[in-house]
Amino acid sequence: MTRTTTCNTRLIARQHQQPSYSNEELASLVESKRVHRDVYLDPEIFELEMERIWGKAWVFVGHESQVKKPGDFISTTIGKEPVLMVRDKQGTVNVIYNRCGHKGAKVMAKPCGNTAMFRCPYHGWTFQLDGKLNATPHKCGYDDTGLDPTDPQYSMQPVARVESHRGFVFASLSRSGDDLKTFMGAALETIDNMADRSPKGEVEVVGACLPYFHDCNWKMFFENLNDAQHPMVCHASVGFATRKTVKQLPQGAPVPKEVEIISPFGSSYELFDDMGVTVMDNGHSFMGGKHSIHSAYSQIPGYMDAMIAAHGKEKSEKVLGSNRHNTAIYPSFTIKDAVQIIRVVRPVAVDKTLIQTWHFRLKGAPEEMLHRTMTYSRLINSPASMVGPDDWDCYARMQESLHSNSAEWVDMRRYIGQEESHNGVTHSKGTSDLSMRNQYKAWENYMTQAQTSAQETNQ
Amino acid sequence: MTSNAAQASRLQPSYDLKEIENFLYYEADLLDNNDLENWMQLFTEDGTYWMPVARNQQDPHGHISILFENRAVMAVRANNFGHRLAASMEYDIRSSHLIANIRVVDFDENTGDCTIKSNFQAVLYYREQTLFAGTCTHQLKRVGDSYRIVQKRVDLINCDAPHKSIMTYI
Repeated sequence: MTRTTTCNTRLIARQHQQPSYSNEELASLVESKRVHRDVYLDPEIFELEMERIWGKAWVFVGHESQVKKPGDFISTTIGKEPVLMVRDKQGTVNVIYNRCGHKGAKVMAKPCGNTAMFRCPYHGWTFQLDGKLNATPHKCGYDDTGLDPTDPQYSMQPVARVESHRGFVFASLSRSGDDLKTFMGAALETIDNMADRSPKGEVEVVGACLPYFHDCNWKMFFENLNDAQHPMVCHASVGFATRKTVKQLPQGAPVPKEVEIISPFGSSYELFDDMGVTVMDNGHSFMGGKHSIHSAYSQIPGYMDAMIAAHGKEKSEKVLGSNRHNTAIYPSFTIKDAVQIIRVVRPVAVDKTLIQTWHFRLKGAPEEMLHRTMTYSRLINSPASMVGPDDWDCYARMQESLHSNSAEWVDMRRYIGQEESHNGVTHSKGTSDLSMRNQYKAWENYMTQAQTSAQETNQ
Repeated sequence: MTSNAAQASRLQPSYDLKEIENFLYYEADLLDNNDLENWMQLFTEDGTYWMPVARNQQDPHGHISILFENRAVMAVRANNFGHRLAASMEYDIRSSHLIANIRVVDFDENTGDCTIKSNFQAVLYYREQTLFAGTCTHQLKRVGDSYRIVQKRVDLINCDAPHKSIMTYI
């Protein structure tokens, strides 16, 4: 055994083989009706999640339309790993670690751009668009030193697995596990539905993202996505304010188009119960189906005609008849197919989470569809909206007061025992805590797997 | 324009910079006092408030913005402000605006309408203290002996940074 290997082994032992939490202890944090507060509070559990969940699951990286030309790249993270998504000269979209194979510096600091090759700004090592080492300056210094330029450790290494569906690129840092389609299960239909809402069957990212920095654990944001017990309480004020504004309009004045977007957030328990929640393997879930809070939007002139011309009446009605609310693909991604928005979870620390909202154009659809997407996002998702900040504040309150020693458990038993399972999915009333229980089932599966991605890599 | 005419227009500006400054100070004072009801009345009926997310952003409709609000949404915001049912509104929202480097970048001699740029620093206190800075572009319409705002555009120097909740207009 070489000296290097010994050091590696020691490092890995510290990081992966002797965590202070045993699998039994981790499993004990999740019960059928409740979870222990430490899952939100303990920095050590956060680090384990980065390895065992974010190092294993398919995590959303970007959309192919963000890297249209060879050399186009975006910079992002998978868990805490810095990565680049880049289109190479053959047109392949690669996901590589944003780490120089020499001294380990982050090679590209810009969020996006175009480049002929990657060049580390520190010592000038250059890398091809697939991450392979291109050249080292003043190469003679490495003569007879044993440096093998084809050894992956000197490259910007590719992540273990990359797959794309309808242009949505996901990556897994683990060599083993289900393929992307199997991983997604019935959640995949939501991505298809968004793309099928384009008369050309294609969507593209428009412009920069809207980032929103949260003072909470990433799971609080995720659990809220299909928590329909909160809107009529947490978002009650904006519902009242909107109704008051409509009442104040002069008689005969048209109702502003924003009202149809904001108002459903104040809907009743009954409406959300009727929407229903559906969960599947790996922690994924969605609300709605036949109807959702997006069902009652007014028609945008020309859109239905363009859809029927492209897809025919039957398929168009089928595509537009599907009305899901948030489809949450655990742990990194949530999509609103009916409004062409995705939000991406980038965990930063146990109590810090970055949420990025990206917006999509339905190719071939009237531009007003895109305008509605932007209006929705500003009204609901923006850090300056009148909806997001109320969610934000409740997450921050939990992150703060879960430290209270007056109790240790967080309840999630609502409507337990009333689920129905068929065709591989489980369904319940919309205000059930089912999606949360399902997320913690996945959490426990991931967290108690002895085999971690880092161990595989080093085998 | 001949050099003489140019000199004349400099000597006899048909706008009063002091009046424009006072208008901007008044607008900022309404924000610092959380008086959204009177603040929104400064806007024309089709007036908008725009805070882009991207540098040099051209399009408020086809690209996302942090804020792009018309009078209708301003009215909802005024009705929601301080609402007892809103978790986010349980904290004081305080601000202090400083405005400087005020310059007239466009002026219509016929109508008196003008476009004003200014630099600002606004300290907001909401849960914690935050410093916002940037450039404002006011498109002003001359109405009688005062102005109304056709658009207020606020370009934050960190427009594309991940912000926490921004609870009011800056």
